[in-house]
Amino acid sequence: MAAAARSAILKYLRVPVPAVPSNPSSTTPLFLSPFNAIRRRLFSEEVRGTFLDKSEVTDRVISVVKNFQKVDPSKVTPNAHFQNDLGLDSLDAVEIVMALEEEFGFEIPDNEADKINSIGLAVDFISSHPQAK
Amino acid sequence: MASTTPRKVEVLWLFRSLLRTARQFCDYNVREYTKRRTIDAFRHNKSLSEPSHLSSVISDGKAQLDLAKRQALVYKLYAPKMTSIMDLKPTI
Repeated sequence: MAAAARSAILKYLRVPVPAVPSNPSSTTPLFLSPFNAIRRRLFSEEVRGTFLDKSEVTDRVISVVKNFQKVDPSKVTPNAHFQNDLGLDSLDAVEIVMALEEEFGFEIPDNEADKINSIGLAVDFISSHPQAK
Repeated sequence: MASTTPRKVEVLWLFRSLLRTARQFCDYNVREYTKRRTIDAFRHNKSLSEPSHLSSVISDGKAQLDLAKRQALVYKLYAPKMTSIMDLKPTI
């Protein structure tokens, strides 16, 4: 009686184990994987980051600013100043910097963000930042 | 308005922090509402000049920032299983 109950419980508790491939090296050559791991760590683009081309950054910054509601798209030039040329105030400047963060996928620290008050400065900062995508 | 009065720095910091916190909400509707509400409130109070009124408005904004941070965290724990259609990337 006790033995039957015991075997029933054990059967219930049995865990299925997925089959292990008999020869793991057939899929990934063992001798290559450490090199690949090191190479991935040292040279991967996500970790190291890459600097974006300045003209590409300029185009993307200009298109972000042009999409901003209050801006007259015809006034947007690569040298335009947010307050003087585009007639924006400091709140708008904060909004534009936030939009640029979303466009380029990285966070601009507050003290740097405060300094960005023209398209030229934004382009300089973003193109010198390795995390910008 | 001088360019670097402490109060202006504080207001811009609060504005930026609220917008940053707004981005952390996982639900599209809440995220966009928080952003819209922040921008509208700062525009609405843009021309305030009376010091006592200003400081009460700023402290209210800070309380709202704390609330938004807390709620972003709580909503993250109970995130909706369905993503909003506005969050889906076009496949083309």
